[in-house]
Amino acid sequence: MLDFLQAVSDGVLFGATYALIGIGFTLVFGVMHKINMAYAAASVGGAYAGLLVLTVMSGAPPWLVFLGAFAAGGLLGWMVYVTCFHFIPLSSPLATLMSTVGMLLLIDEVIVHVTAGMPQSYPAMFDDVMLRAGEFSMRGDLLLVFAVSVLAMIALLLLLYRTSLGLATRAVSQQPVAAQLCGIRLVRVNALTFVITGLLGGLAGALIGASVGTLSPLLTTPLTVKGLIVTVIGGLGSIPGAILAGLLVGGFENVLQLYRGVTERDLYVMLLLFAFLTFRPGGLFAPKSGRD
Amino acid sequence: MDFYFGLAQLIGVHTLLGLSAYIVLLTGQVSLAQAGFFAVGAYTAGMLTVLAGWHLVPALGVSAVTGAAVACAVGFPALRVKGLMLVIATLAFGEGVRLFFFNFDYQIAKGEIKVGPLGGEGFRQIRFFPENGWETGEVMLFIWVFVVAAMALLWWFDRSRYGTVLRAVGEDELAAQSVGVNLTAVKVSAMTVGGAIAGVGGGLYAHYTTHIEHASFNILVATFAIAYPIVGGLRSVFGTLLAVIFVQGFLVEGLRFLGDWRNLLFGALIVLAMNLRPSGILGRRHA
Repeated sequence: MLDFLQAVSDGVLFGATYALIGIGFTLVFGVMHKINMAYAAASVGGAYAGLLVLTVMSGAPPWLVFLGAFAAGGLLGWMVYVTCFHFIPLSSPLATLMSTVGMLLLIDEVIVHVTAGMPQSYPAMFDDVMLRAGEFSMRGDLLLVFAVSVLAMIALLLLLYRTSLGLATRAVSQQPVAAQLCGIRLVRVNALTFVITGLLGGLAGALIGASVGTLSPLLTTPLTVKGLIVTVIGGLGSIPGAILAGLLVGGFENVLQLYRGVTERDLYVMLLLFAFLTFRPGGLFAPKSGRD
Repeated sequence: MDFYFGLAQLIGVHTLLGLSAYIVLLTGQVSLAQAGFFAVGAYTAGMLTVLAGWHLVPALGVSAVTGAAVACAVGFPALRVKGLMLVIATLAFGEGVRLFFFNFDYQIAKGEIKVGPLGGEGFRQIRFFPENGWETGEVMLFIWVFVVAAMALLWWFDRSRYGTVLRAVGEDELAAQSVGVNLTAVKVSAMTVGGAIAGVGGGLYAHYTTHIEHASFNILVATFAIAYPIVGGLRSVFGTLLAVIFVQGFLVEGLRFLGDWRNLLFGALIVLAMNLRPSGILGRRHA
């Protein structure tokens, strides 16, 4: 029983990073009705770029690396927008899907090329702290990951619901044409959405790097798949759904890792997804209007 | 010469993979599950020839049927969701199949050694061609018989009533439904045909490489499968063939002298191609 609780708590804490990645997918989907397949790769790329801080200034504190990853993620998000979305007409959904996949491969290869394929160790904070309650314990670095993720989500929700940029973003996601008629610049809102999701992604990448301890290009595929699963389980376009689904998937996979081992774990996550697709295709929080 | 035969084998198998995604794309659905059907076909055919001692041709037939059955089974629940949801559902299915074979052990002793799929180590010793003394050129011709057959089948579909229905669903589901087209039947049948083609392709792939493992069926393969018809354009099956030759012949083999940089260029060229020709190389000019 204690093992079970321990697995759930560790999984849910790490699941916060899945939630961040899921939010990135879902936000772009909400605004543009497109999937940005390069998102997880760009997030990992941002985390790698954060390591540049260490080469410029050796012995920099970890939070500076995280900040670097945050900024680099935003920049990468903007680059993905320009290269994969800006010049491709909205009426060619297949073309944007393919261009973002191309971008995913490109980012992956750039990482492999620059690091010669070697995993890079990533700085962590509070990794020597351990909260204990009897046999039950909580890793300090995972708690930090969770806390930072929650803060980032709160900041995002404030941005979306308390600022005029957020109002414009929500308007574009509901009625792009009407929003344009009200004087909202679509292109600007779209580009800014990519920058915002990119910032979140860079942060998520850095947090994942910190809690795993190393970064490797092998992370991009599982992160892409998990992020997309979280998006679907939460309901496409729903931010609270993505948050809840991220924590759910994190806890679920860690419990199954405990009972079935690491090689079988992801198989059950796929089964969870199919259970949702069969019994609740709209996800936890399905948006009311069934737009595609 | 063997090098070119080998390249032609690769192009043939990848054309089958691309064609399996082509017919699904005609109905407007993007399926990233093709690598999964490809894997099912590869393991089925490999197990039948190696473990059960079958001849390759009936084994490929069983591969086709298995691939079609799995595709049909996936099609029903997965096609309840539309568009981008389907991309994710099929992506997850493909990964699920890969993970299944990652955990799949079934070995029997054959003489001195044990043969059969062994989890992460993969399935070695699929030696039907060398055991029966087939030359590389003959293997290539054998593969291309299937490629030509699949292309002819899809070309004929395109010119038949069925092809028109597929494209009608792809262009506008609502309009197609309003003239009495059964959307589910059309989509699931396209998926089933695609599954059969991918199954045959997988079976051929397993035999010409002689060694398959779960990593041979990852997301990259699934991406390649949809990339060929999208890059080539959906106007005809020849677009897919052209895209396979462009990608495997030019980007992968032709640019080998660039070494490491080739992989970098690969992603960049896909991005560039989609920016310049959103409807594919042979696609319509308007977007």
